[in-house]
Amino acid sequence: MEYIGENLFIGQLGRFAVSLSFTASIISAIAYILYTKTKDSSYHRFARFSFWAHTVGAISIVLTLFYMMLNHYFEYDYVWKHTSLDLPLRYIFSAFWEGQEGSFILWIFWNSVLGILLMYTAKKWEAGSMVVFSAVQAFLSSMILGVYLFGHKIGSSPFILMREVVDNIGLPWTSVPDYLERFPTFMDGTGLNPLLQNYWMTIHPPTLFLGFASTLPPFAFAIAALLNKDFKSWVKPALPWTFFSVSILGLGILMGGAWAYEALSFGGFWAWDPVENSSLVPWITMVGGAHLLLIYRNKKTGLSAAFFLIIISFLLILYSTFLTRSGVLGDSSVHSFVDLGLSGQLLIYLLSFVVFSFGLLLYRYKSIPKSKKEDDLTSREFWMFIGSLTLLISAFQITFSTSIPVFNALFGPEGWIPFMEDKMAPPLDAIKHYNSFQLPFSIVITLLIALGQFMNYGKSKKKFWFNLLRSFIVSLLVTAALGTYYDMLTDPLYLLLLFVGTFAFFSNLDYWLFFKKANFTFAGSSIAHIGFALIMVGALISNGRQQVISNTTIFLSDDLPNNENAVLDLMDTVDLGPYKAQWTEMEEIGDKQFYNVNYYDKDFQKQLFTLRPFLQITDQMGPSPNPSTKHYWDKDVYTHIQYSSYLEPVSPDGYSNEMELEMERGDSAIFNDHFVIMDSIKVKASYNENTNVLEAVRLTAILRIVNVLGEEFMARPSFILIGNEVTHEDAYLETQLFKFRLDEVNPDTNKMLIKGSMKKLEKEKDFIVMKAIVFPMINLLWIGSILMVLGGFIAVYQRVRR
Amino acid sequence: MKKTQLVILVVIVIAIGAIIATISDASTYVSFSMASENPGTKYTVIGYLDKDGEMNYNARAQKFTFIAIDKEGEKKKVMYGQPKPQDFERSEEITMKGYSTDSLFVAEEILMKCPSKYNEQNEIEGYNTY
Repeated sequence: MEYIGENLFIGQLGRFAVSLSFTASIISAIAYILYTKTKDSSYHRFARFSFWAHTVGAISIVLTLFYMMLNHYFEYDYVWKHTSLDLPLRYIFSAFWEGQEGSFILWIFWNSVLGILLMYTAKKWEAGSMVVFSAVQAFLSSMILGVYLFGHKIGSSPFILMREVVDNIGLPWTSVPDYLERFPTFMDGTGLNPLLQNYWMTIHPPTLFLGFASTLPPFAFAIAALLNKDFKSWVKPALPWTFFSVSILGLGILMGGAWAYEALSFGGFWAWDPVENSSLVPWITMVGGAHLLLIYRNKKTGLSAAFFLIIISFLLILYSTFLTRSGVLGDSSVHSFVDLGLSGQLLIYLLSFVVFSFGLLLYRYKSIPKSKKEDDLTSREFWMFIGSLTLLISAFQITFSTSIPVFNALFGPEGWIPFMEDKMAPPLDAIKHYNSFQLPFSIVITLLIALGQFMNYGKSKKKFWFNLLRSFIVSLLVTAALGTYYDMLTDPLYLLLLFVGTFAFFSNLDYWLFFKKANFTFAGSSIAHIGFALIMVGALISNGRQQVISNTTIFLSDDLPNNENAVLDLMDTVDLGPYKAQWTEMEEIGDKQFYNVNYYDKDFQKQLFTLRPFLQITDQMGPSPNPSTKHYWDKDVYTHIQYSSYLEPVSPDGYSNEMELEMERGDSAIFNDHFVIMDSIKVKASYNENTNVLEAVRLTAILRIVNVLGEEFMARPSFILIGNEVTHEDAYLETQLFKFRLDEVNPDTNKMLIKGSMKKLEKEKDFIVMKAIVFPMINLLWIGSILMVLGGFIAVYQRVRR
Repeated sequence: MKKTQLVILVVIVIAIGAIIATISDASTYVSFSMASENPGTKYTVIGYLDKDGEMNYNARAQKFTFIAIDKEGEKKKVMYGQPKPQDFERSEEITMKGYSTDSLFVAEEILMKCPSKYNEQNEIEGYNTY
């Protein structure tokens, strides 16, 4: 059958590009292996050529998919699902990587870019590391192959036509040649999730996936070193890549936090959600790995631990991919991807990489050179080693708790080995659970950061304590002041973190400005560590001392969670902590409802600021709230709308409180204190005189409505079908303020669906339900984030130059 | 390497501590009847919405009540002190974290599993009338 209006060529081009990138990466891996074995330079040229071919394939995939999206080829499933005609052009990127396939493509793209860079810079490490690179690329490319092999789905292609989607095969519309022009559904896509129509969604995923990709070069170096039994010389070329990874992955994660805070209504920047955790963990281990590599560069010790941490960082990225994309997180996370039926494939990849890498590490473990000498207790390397191990336990704890759904899948009552009687549920209070571990860990890490720069490799000097003295005293004073102001004196762990945080800030600042005379050579590590210290202090104060100011005590007891939202009537003023607030108007712009909330001082004398949180209302998602925040230098006032009376469904003619009644002839039902009885049904049908084909049908339900006094009223709603068009003739009962609609006929039961609604005489006063939170000192967190990433990049620059 | 071994031992001890603490922190999924045996203690209950049951949302009082049926088939009135979640009627499964009182279950957090909208739309509006 010939379908009308489909653009088939572009899809074939896309599929060809996927096959090219898949096969070329395999060929490149094989050619690199042959080159290592034979040292024949023609293999080398061929391997490079193949990797280029792979990269061309990857770029073509990206371009093809963009082309399809820009031209609205809705016959393609991916385009239909993620874009729509009215999607602004600036969100086309967001739509591109909204789906799993698109985000795999993004990852493949970054990997191939980094691969090309590595290919020309790695020199003697090229062959070994590129084998790993090509193998990983083959694995990723196969995730978007979308072919069936012996009945198993391999990958999910973004270039598949909607009528070829498994769920759709055999549906009646697939045998309609002009389905694209016939059904309104196919004329426009379902569009991008409104929560993702945001500039953060444009920049966060590419950064995060570049972060994911950046864990591959260090891993590739480590594996190549183990394969070649050349355990030492990889450290130098791997170091800048490792710092690059720490910086860019850190930036990606922090952007995610900023996005959650600015544009989503989680009420904070970090919630220990499994999806967040699974990208944080590889970053933590990568930081540990980077520091171990530094130890090795300077003191030739800690090499096996460095191997372990670098390798596990990449494996944890794979694990994270498995967690978020296999559907295993299911009911424990709000924002994981849906299962595309690829979990088996993901699991096989994950396990083969884990078994191969750890197997290789164990096999070579004995040959990895180890330092004979015992580290001195006052040496920098000893404490850096302790710090890296602390990071490892911190990562372990987060991974373990996040993996509870995995344990259920393995050992739960329906698991592989039914070992547990009941399924384990994630901790009830996730934030409290994670904080109880991560707070002590972060105290240890931050203290080590405060001391670290003043220690020396080998053995620290006597002047060590003396050098630290002035930053110690300054931080004691600052801690006392901040601790008193933010009421932390009775909270020993908070106070301790506050102290080590300020201590780390001042000692690193002191070290760089006065001991190193602000020398640029030492800028990277100092700035990054200052940034980290600020993140700790900012996170502690803003999170630990956040204050919900919309507390109300309207009813019920104190321990119920519902008293965190305030109800604001239009134009009434309400106390919100140190403010008075007034909601003055609702402004509708496009699909957004903006609510203007004015904040005044306590005495209602002066207007301080206005916030405009909004609800975006779409068919796809319903109303999604978007917060609005007033930024002061020392605090943020955050507001978001939970509910508003504008959301109560009212039809344009003022009828609301719709109720559905399913009835057939003779049935009766109760509707708003009235009996509704269906006395009879009238059917009128007209046929085409020539062909005898049904042209129009009119169904009328004769309803008798009886009130409590026994008075009777009649209503006759009709359902009209002309050709394919359905119209309704509603029956109004002015005296009782009722409206009835004969909505449809249930084809299974032959019952009629009557929708009854009622007009409200006077509209209730409009109101909103909103939540307001004050986050003190959150700017420290953002400044710290910027400094940490900046410091990381300076370190990369310094390492590359050396 | 005595010192390193000592450090690694400490690390292992902390790791085991973390495992034990996590397991004791982790709750189990229970039924309503288990939850009502210990009123006030927090549990996670998985159930689904009783579509014939009474559902009521009072936005001003911020009180949303509905009837849920747990996996053992027990019905219970659930109160949720937050705005009614979007598309609540269409949910297939509801995960409720909260505690029992003598008359109802107070949910502090609700997660829903919804059928993907995409699948539903595949049943094509307009097809019925075709």
